[in-house]
Amino acid sequence: MVCIRQATIDDLLAMQACNLMCLPENYQMKYYFYHMLSWPQLLFVAEDYGGRIVGYVLAKMEEDPSEPCHGHITSLAVLRSHRKLGLATKLMSAAQAAMDQVFGAEYVSLHVRRSNRAAFNLYTSTLGYQIHDIEAKYYADGEDAFDMRKLLRQPQAKKHHHHHHHHHGPGGCCSHDAPPTAASGSSPQSSNSPDKKPSA
Amino acid sequence: MASKFGLAGGIPERRVRPIWDAVDSRQYKPALKLCTALVVKHPTSPYALALKALILERMGKPDEALCVSLNAKELLYSDNIFHFDDLTLSTLQIVFQRLDRLDLATSCYEYACAKYPANLELMMGLFNCYVREYSYVKQQQTAIKMYKAVGEERFLLWAVSSIQLQVYFSSGGEKLLALAEALLKKHINSHSLHEPEALALYISILEQQAKYDAALEILSGDLGSLMGREEDKLRLQGRLHAQASNYVAASEIYQKVLESCPDDWESFLHYLGCLLEHDVNLPKASTGEHSCSSCSVNSALSNKTCLSEELVESRLTSALSFVQRLQEKNSSDCVRGPHLANIEIERQRRVSGDLNDRKVIEALVKYLHRFGHLSCSASDVEIYLHMLSDNEITELLDAISGSFDSSSVSVNALGLTITLFKVQELLGTLFTKSTTELQGIAKRMVHTFYKNLPLSNDLDPQESMYGEELLSMASSILVQLYWRTRNLGYLLEAILVLEFGLTVRKYVWQYKIILVHLYSYMGALPLAHKWYITLEVKNILLESVSHHILPQMLNSPFLQQAADLVRDYLKFMDDHLKESADLTCLAYRHRTYSKVIEFVQFKDRLQRSMQYLSVRSDSVLLHLKQKAESLEEVESILENASNGARLVELSNEDSMKHLTFNEDLQARPWWTPTSSVNFLSEPFDEDAAPASYRAKVCKHKSNEKYGPKLKDAERKSLVPRLVYLSMHGGASFLRESELNGACSDVTAVGEMKTLLEKYARSIGYSIDDALSVVLGMSSGKKAVKDFAPDIVSWMSFAVFINAWNLCSNESVIPGTDGSSPNSWQIVDNLVKICIDEQLTDANRMLTSPGNNFPLLVRMVTEPISWHLLIIQSCMRAMAPQGKKKKKGGPSERPNIPHLQAIQTSVHCIADTLQSVQTWLSDQMRPEEQALDILLSQLQGTSAEGPGQISCILDESSAMANSEIGGRIAQSLESWSSAGVVRRIVGAENETVAEFHKICDSKLKLLMSESASLSAMLH
Repeated sequence: MVCIRQATIDDLLAMQACNLMCLPENYQMKYYFYHMLSWPQLLFVAEDYGGRIVGYVLAKMEEDPSEPCHGHITSLAVLRSHRKLGLATKLMSAAQAAMDQVFGAEYVSLHVRRSNRAAFNLYTSTLGYQIHDIEAKYYADGEDAFDMRKLLRQPQAKKHHHHHHHHHGPGGCCSHDAPPTAASGSSPQSSNSPDKKPSA
Repeated sequence: MASKFGLAGGIPERRVRPIWDAVDSRQYKPALKLCTALVVKHPTSPYALALKALILERMGKPDEALCVSLNAKELLYSDNIFHFDDLTLSTLQIVFQRLDRLDLATSCYEYACAKYPANLELMMGLFNCYVREYSYVKQQQTAIKMYKAVGEERFLLWAVSSIQLQVYFSSGGEKLLALAEALLKKHINSHSLHEPEALALYISILEQQAKYDAALEILSGDLGSLMGREEDKLRLQGRLHAQASNYVAASEIYQKVLESCPDDWESFLHYLGCLLEHDVNLPKASTGEHSCSSCSVNSALSNKTCLSEELVESRLTSALSFVQRLQEKNSSDCVRGPHLANIEIERQRRVSGDLNDRKVIEALVKYLHRFGHLSCSASDVEIYLHMLSDNEITELLDAISGSFDSSSVSVNALGLTITLFKVQELLGTLFTKSTTELQGIAKRMVHTFYKNLPLSNDLDPQESMYGEELLSMASSILVQLYWRTRNLGYLLEAILVLEFGLTVRKYVWQYKIILVHLYSYMGALPLAHKWYITLEVKNILLESVSHHILPQMLNSPFLQQAADLVRDYLKFMDDHLKESADLTCLAYRHRTYSKVIEFVQFKDRLQRSMQYLSVRSDSVLLHLKQKAESLEEVESILENASNGARLVELSNEDSMKHLTFNEDLQARPWWTPTSSVNFLSEPFDEDAAPASYRAKVCKHKSNEKYGPKLKDAERKSLVPRLVYLSMHGGASFLRESELNGACSDVTAVGEMKTLLEKYARSIGYSIDDALSVVLGMSSGKKAVKDFAPDIVSWMSFAVFINAWNLCSNESVIPGTDGSSPNSWQIVDNLVKICIDEQLTDANRMLTSPGNNFPLLVRMVTEPISWHLLIIQSCMRAMAPQGKKKKKGGPSERPNIPHLQAIQTSVHCIADTLQSVQTWLSDQMRPEEQALDILLSQLQGTSAEGPGQISCILDESSAMANSEIGGRIAQSLESWSSAGVVRRIVGAENETVAEFHKICDSKLKLLMSESASLSAMLH
């Protein structure tokens, strides 16, 4: 009975409640908003019947123009009561498909805790991710992260990587807006001023 | 513009850069120094001044910042300005926004746009200003100007979004939709559309005007290819067809959706609705109102078809065969939809005809046999369970329990066992079982949990364990046993079971939330608070989850902890409301128009939050309670809160009508469905049917909106203002009557009257009736008990009446005159009677949970605090002032009758507080003694009664090393039931001690006031 659909802002309450029930996250609400406003096509919730949100995936397009166009999975959560139903796979597939179809991403990346075997297995055996790198002490508590990647399409020759199906303002496909680092608290308005200075 | 030539706001970039760098690294002092030098060098540069204002604001000097930014604004407006660029304006905008002066920012942009009408950048800035002010009409006008200037699609869509907002947020804007449609049509004819969001916006404009066929035509044309996901397009087409009453086409489309997404339950319901032609199919309302799953069965049942019985039957048969095809194609466990659909179809059959149809129960049994091992299966079928007859319930339970093998240890067997328990819990059949049976079930649950622990040994510690639900359910049964028997041991065991679970794994939020409520009920608030804090509630959860702890904390002696919770909550809400418009600007810029609408609606929803309104009053009240012994501090708190006036404005009738309730009540334990209801304080009704409890819970949840909460919130919002007026009214009367006998401030007296009328109304009385109630209670003619639920409000009312009487020209109390001190006595008597009554009725805290301790705390921290503030300000007004004393004179003679009345009041309150102190000291037992009392509750001698589960827990933890092993056994090493009980004793003592401290400081104040009074009177 689970429907995978794009998230709306009202879903935020339920999405954050998922965090309470799964793993506490330290993202600020602005970070969710930032995703939601910038790449609404990549944000999916799993809605069980009765409108109950039982899982979600938060994803974004990477903004570094020096790298090939690619997406990144920021966060994935599924309620315990709804595990083993393939929801994580469905959510991930929906986000990956949108990265590919809407933004023309070449690959998708994600980070996973070294100790999180369940997630690691999901990413490798079910979803076909491979370890690209190991980032030492990636997490605040000092744990390493696996930097994992999955190819979505063959890399294109060095040409500009986005088809402009969806483009934001003067910065091109991947918006030049404030970096989505949760801690910096960058206010979105900063990108509007020519020198990108105000509101540090 | 200017910055193109290495200039920033007309100043060379290299001179500005270091200042920004300093600001970015929060080095405000050096930044200010550099900037001051810059201003000296460029005294007429508005940019330099704007920069300076920005730095000053960051340094926490809002007044200076405003002054400097106004100078900058003035320079901008002067004719000889050379550099008029967006950088200067956007910098100023930031400063004005942070100073809460959006109007000033807007007027700067308006001026600039008038001066340079062709400048697109400035117009965009102006548009953003209007977005921040939520001025939809001006947004629309500005966007149209931009669209006309450059013809870009996005500006047209900005205008259309602005139109949609007008329609959503003002009445009578519907005709604007036709304008939006015409604009879009014209643009499409010449330029087509290029973005999915633009198409979505166009479709929604048509949908809002009920032009479904036109919308469908567009979707099936070229533009339809803009929709990214095929199933999204189909769902939209289905909805449009259904709204246009094209039921055949709609059901065919939904069939297609289900073929590609067989688990999409929403689409299945629409499919079925269209087949039966009763699908209203409106987009889901996002009201965020309370609902509970048991209620939804009624609303689901309310859809009635107008088709004939035969037609319904034939359509349901075709639906059934479609669903069966889906089942065959999707055989994995992951797809439950088509199987649940079976039950829904059978339910529809029952609704339309045969009430004795057995097929519903057969379908249910089939579903549970197939999916019973999944932990979501019981809640999947919840609404269907509630339509079963008693016989059917027995049959269902027999059928599913017969097939479960609870002896083996496996994930699936455990899942089935849990489902069986859960189905019984949902059905409420446990309420009908005997005490002995219930005890047996709880024991079995705890045992099953323990036995299955090895399954979880290999899981990551953060991962949920198998069978966690068992302990929640066992705890819930133990609470029910306590409710029935009033045997405290059961309540302790309900706590022990969850504490045991958290010893095994410390992350289980369900356990923590129930413990928060159990400990609150036990009077061990510090433990409730401690578990709540470990939930790390933040962001939007502050709005939806705070209700678990906040109400208890607000009525507790832990004022500081309560103030911290309130501060965090308000910070989140205030920040969000402040920043939300910036995010809306971002949505416009990113062309996610659907998000623009969602964002504004979401902000609106939070802004109208009932909790937000209420907590803003709580925040001021808490500060007042904390500092109630210092007149100066109270005055400054009030001053910062506009002397209470803003809060009164906030709770005007209009705003009270449209409040939203965003609390997530689902996770609350069944016995306290909302924060104002606690079943445990009512007697257990042996004969009540399970369904009646469910109905009761539903009623409470849906009543939340109309219940006493609203009145409470309104009343609270009046208190700070009443305190302010009472302090000043009473004191100024005394001062003036001493000096020249003139009457005091007429408007203040009038305002007090209006507020007191409102206050009385919120308790359900007219002011005159309320006055006679107060007089009756204080003279002993009316029983305080009859007014029990609002007794604290009545006491505060009496306190404010006294102050009103002091400053009013004529007597406000029947049978007294204005200068009579009788109104003091009314307060004295009422306070004494109310508190004495509480103390006589009060049971020992330790052994009687849910007692009136919180009420006592409120009486002391609210009405008594307010009364003492009035006394303090009267004393200050009457005290001979240093300078004048030397001069001497006839006007310096104190008002003897009033002083005497105050002295009596001081003595009376002091006596009352002392009796509270005595009672409190009596509650504080030596820890060992208290521990023995509680532990004795767990030492039942027979096989009946509490104590058995705590034994199981202690024995299990002792055996865990050999039986379970691994990290779980390790974590259980620290377990001890007695340790948990000891912590409860400690927490209760801490609570008593905290209250003791509050009384102490009030008594101290009373002593010193008494001394000064004696000095003045002699």
